[in-house]
Amino acid sequence: MYLNQFLLLSAALFAIGVYGVLARRNGVLVLMSIELILNAVNINLVAFAAFGNQLAGEVFALFVIAVAAAEVGVGLAMILLLYRNRKSIDLTQIDLMRG
Amino acid sequence: MIAALTTPYVAWWALVPLITFAVAGFLLLTVASLVRRLPAVLAPAWTAVAGLGVLLYLVPMWSRVGRDGADSFLAGTVGVDRSSIFVTGILAVAVIAAALISRDYLPREDLPGVELYVLLLMSAAGGVVMASANDLIVLFLGLEILSIAVYVLAALHLRRIESQEAALKYFLLGAFSSAFLLYGIALVYGATGSTNMVRISAFLAQNVLVDDAMLLAGLGLLLVGLGFKVAVVPFHAWTPDVYQGAPTPVVAWMAAGVKAAGFAALMRVFVLTLGTYVSDWRPAFQVIAAATVLAGAVVAVVQTDVKRMLAYSSIVHAGFILVGLQAATDRGNSSVLAYLAVYAFLTVGSFAVVTVVSGTGDASHGLDAYRGMGRRHPALAGVFTVLLLGQAGIPFTGGFVVKLGVLAAAVDGGAYWLAGVAMLAAAVAAFVYLRLLVAMYLEEVPSGTETSGAVPLGALVVAVASAVIVLVVGLVPGPLLDLARDAVPVLVAG
Amino acid sequence: MTAVLLASAGTSSFPVLPALVVTPVLGALLVMVLPRRRPELLKLVAVSTAVVTGAMSFWLLSAFKVGDPGFQFLSETPWMGDLGVSLLFGIDGISLFLVILTGLLFPVALLAIDPGHDARPYYAWMLLLEAGVMGVFGALDLIVFFLCFEVVLVPMYFLIGRWGHGNSARAATKFFLYTMAGSALMLVGILALAFLHADATGADISFDLVAIAEAQSLSTGAARWIFAAFALAFAVKVPIFPLHTWLPDAHTEAPTAGSVILAGVLLKLGTYGFLRFGLYLFPEASHYFAPVFLTLGVVGIVYGAIVATMQADLKRLVAYSSVAHLGFIILGTFALNTEGIEGGLLQMVNHGVSTGALFLLVGMIYERRGTRMIGDLGGLQKSAPVLAGVFMVVMLSSIGLPGLNGFVGEFLVLLGAFNAHRWWAVAAAGGVILAALYLLWAYQRVFHGPAEGDNADMPDLGLREALVLAPLLALIVFMGVYPKPVIERMEPAVDSLVRHVEFHVDGFSEPVSQMGSEIGPLDDSHGEHG
Repeated sequence: MYLNQFLLLSAALFAIGVYGVLARRNGVLVLMSIELILNAVNINLVAFAAFGNQLAGEVFALFVIAVAAAEVGVGLAMILLLYRNRKSIDLTQIDLMRG
Repeated sequence: MIAALTTPYVAWWALVPLITFAVAGFLLLTVASLVRRLPAVLAPAWTAVAGLGVLLYLVPMWSRVGRDGADSFLAGTVGVDRSSIFVTGILAVAVIAAALISRDYLPREDLPGVELYVLLLMSAAGGVVMASANDLIVLFLGLEILSIAVYVLAALHLRRIESQEAALKYFLLGAFSSAFLLYGIALVYGATGSTNMVRISAFLAQNVLVDDAMLLAGLGLLLVGLGFKVAVVPFHAWTPDVYQGAPTPVVAWMAAGVKAAGFAALMRVFVLTLGTYVSDWRPAFQVIAAATVLAGAVVAVVQTDVKRMLAYSSIVHAGFILVGLQAATDRGNSSVLAYLAVYAFLTVGSFAVVTVVSGTGDASHGLDAYRGMGRRHPALAGVFTVLLLGQAGIPFTGGFVVKLGVLAAAVDGGAYWLAGVAMLAAAVAAFVYLRLLVAMYLEEVPSGTETSGAVPLGALVVAVASAVIVLVVGLVPGPLLDLARDAVPVLVAG
Repeated sequence: MTAVLLASAGTSSFPVLPALVVTPVLGALLVMVLPRRRPELLKLVAVSTAVVTGAMSFWLLSAFKVGDPGFQFLSETPWMGDLGVSLLFGIDGISLFLVILTGLLFPVALLAIDPGHDARPYYAWMLLLEAGVMGVFGALDLIVFFLCFEVVLVPMYFLIGRWGHGNSARAATKFFLYTMAGSALMLVGILALAFLHADATGADISFDLVAIAEAQSLSTGAARWIFAAFALAFAVKVPIFPLHTWLPDAHTEAPTAGSVILAGVLLKLGTYGFLRFGLYLFPEASHYFAPVFLTLGVVGIVYGAIVATMQADLKRLVAYSSVAHLGFIILGTFALNTEGIEGGLLQMVNHGVSTGALFLLVGMIYERRGTRMIGDLGGLQKSAPVLAGVFMVVMLSSIGLPGLNGFVGEFLVLLGAFNAHRWWAVAAAGGVILAALYLLWAYQRVFHGPAEGDNADMPDLGLREALVLAPLLALIVFMGVYPKPVIERMEPAVDSLVRHVEFHVDGFSEPVSQMGSEIGPLDDSHGEHG
């Protein structure tokens, strides 16, 4: 196994995640795409830690997982709130403010 | 085996501000959930006292760090130096101001209780962590504590659908940018083998990387991630919408507190940690700074909503701060800190006035709402005038003093063109503030507008105090400049 | 400021120059806190503050050491220590009379005109404006100079906007943005100058005008760039020909007091800036760019005169005549010889007095008749002979009639310009003829002819108005007949400035033409005017 393989996997996930955020209209799917990027980060961190023979990366990955959970909690709550008000989670309909 | 476990050294005295904010938040949350009927004044008073306590505690802390030098602890992941104390002070001021503005805002909008104050204290705690992080992991944690609380704060106005839209926008873009930041941290970690800022900077100083592509990619992603937080072009698109939609006291906190913490993080990451790569990131910073001041100023001119105007003007200010930051010198760093301090007062004061003018429903933010204010509310209009002139950087206000500081840093570093662009943008941006002045003084009161209502005390105190401080700094700039000079950040190994 | 310079010039124990700035500020604060029940106190406090300030500025005249080319009444207070900015004040023969002009015009303007409404902020802004202007003329620190130069925009903005006529908000905004954009690059220039100077000399960063100007440590290229940044700011403020478009609007919409101050004092900030911060700091660049400014000055003279001829609004006519007069000042300044600069300096004072008086008179006519349109007026001489007489004298001084103040300045400017650049002087002389044309024509249409309708029973000057105009008239005559006291105080400073320029310009061609020997040295020519 080479470090490069992990980095490529991570880069691919990152790219898919970014594409998802930019292209998806559904709020939940955008949230999932962000999660994808975070997991790409985790792969990177763990791979670097494993190949560098140290712990910091793995610890960091645990933090990232915890924070991601908190973020999703808040994000889903917001999407839910908006759904109650507008009966839709289509992000292109968020257009009350223009300048 | 338990005896063999050694806990890392903790400088508890340096953690007091962080602990105060966090514990004050938790306590408030606990008490509010246990006691059915809390007096309305308790939560804002509690928050303001917590902020004031932190502010007072910073005084002995400042002299202690001056005496003993900067320190780092918790296995070298958290540091305390005078720059972190300085930024903590700005955060404390912003907390106090936001709490005072909210005191009358929440009852007026008929919004429930204490959540705003709890979240405010939490996000301040996050900001303190960011400002004193010595490790990229800790920096990220602080950023998330700060941000998640602010996402919820932005959504707090339950009856304004704009508030929820703004919050969702802010959340999605914020989470997106955090992910970029994380990816950047991961790449820097991969390139240097550490997440500790001290070790990264030592590593980069001692080794020449044969292939620095990964580091440069990480550096770029870090810039994107933090650029979103401080709202510089081209990562600024969320700012006007979020400022317009979010509850106005929350905007005051976002503009003053979040920006200060964000720039503190930028300074620690780029100037301190990645200082050896300054020739690689400086051109990017310069281009971003020029684009930010120009785009912010030009777009601000065509706005009709005052909150959006102030949003774009905050973008211009962010550009100005970058003008000082890109110098990457002690002069530049202290000019950035001074700018952040004065900017905090300018914005909390301005948004205090905006809160008052917006009226019940937090809805009237058009220029119409400001017409004839010079006659209806002479005192409030006078205070707003000082704050606007300060934002425009008119001489003898604090705004000019700090603009002079960042320009001097840029010119000292040879970036003449950048300083010139920034000054031209400032002249364009002045038009925005003039439009408000024209509306307040030179246009008649539209018929049918109710004449003066009472100005709520909390917002008035914030606005007047800010205006006074802005004027005092403009006339006697020495003390602030000395503080900022002494607050130049340093990284110390634990 | 080096200790040597301080010692040689001698410090006066009382910091009179800071007092000139602080007194109006205190007056403004006092005006703001006066009790609401006593509105009559407002004007009393404002006028007496301005009179006290004016008295202090006149005291300078007596205490000023004649024959000393250096700075006097120096005072220094450290301000922004880290950046090397200090509140450094001092005046020499160049700034002395501008300070006095300011001290004279403000009480006159305050006394002559009452604001129609909102008296409290009006007086406060006027006094703050005076403080700012005094700061500009007294400052010897580049940053302090810039601060005062910029800060006068705010009071003037409010004065035009709130107490002006017509579309005053637009005129005020235009004025503010024009001048602010113009001076934007000057701040960068100042910073660049100070840092380059510090690098070259190894000294601490400082914005001390004298130290930087005497060291001349910049490379030619850098100095030219920075001079351009300065010149843009001054050119907008003067205003020099293509940048003048804010001036007629601002003048027309401004209240009378605003016009008086704008024409009398504020426009001098630019011309004074050229002398003190253009020529002194950048002698080589000034010499290099001089042809540009000479040309623009002449264009301004002719253009201002022609456009003034076509104005239907009396106030606009006077405004355009200002453009022409300021062209003269620029012409004299960039002749770069003693006669030209001295003439330009005299013209600054003359223009302040006579154009200030003209705006006052136009304001008085407007107050009585409610119109400034030349077509609506006529025959006023019959109904208001005293006003007509005063108008006549002031107008002749503006034209440059021998025996009145305008002549001395204009003559010196033309003399200096002729010695340096003959054809420019010839073209400028044409402007003098045009000035006579449009002013006399306007006078004829307004004051002669049959008086009809309201023109027939227009009241003449009241006592207060006469009192206000009297000192201006006295100055017009006095300076025309006996300019020696003024010139002998200006000359040493102007001489040393010219020598400074000559010294620092490689191959400076002493602009003595064939005519030079015939006209002789300037000292002799004093007698001719005197």
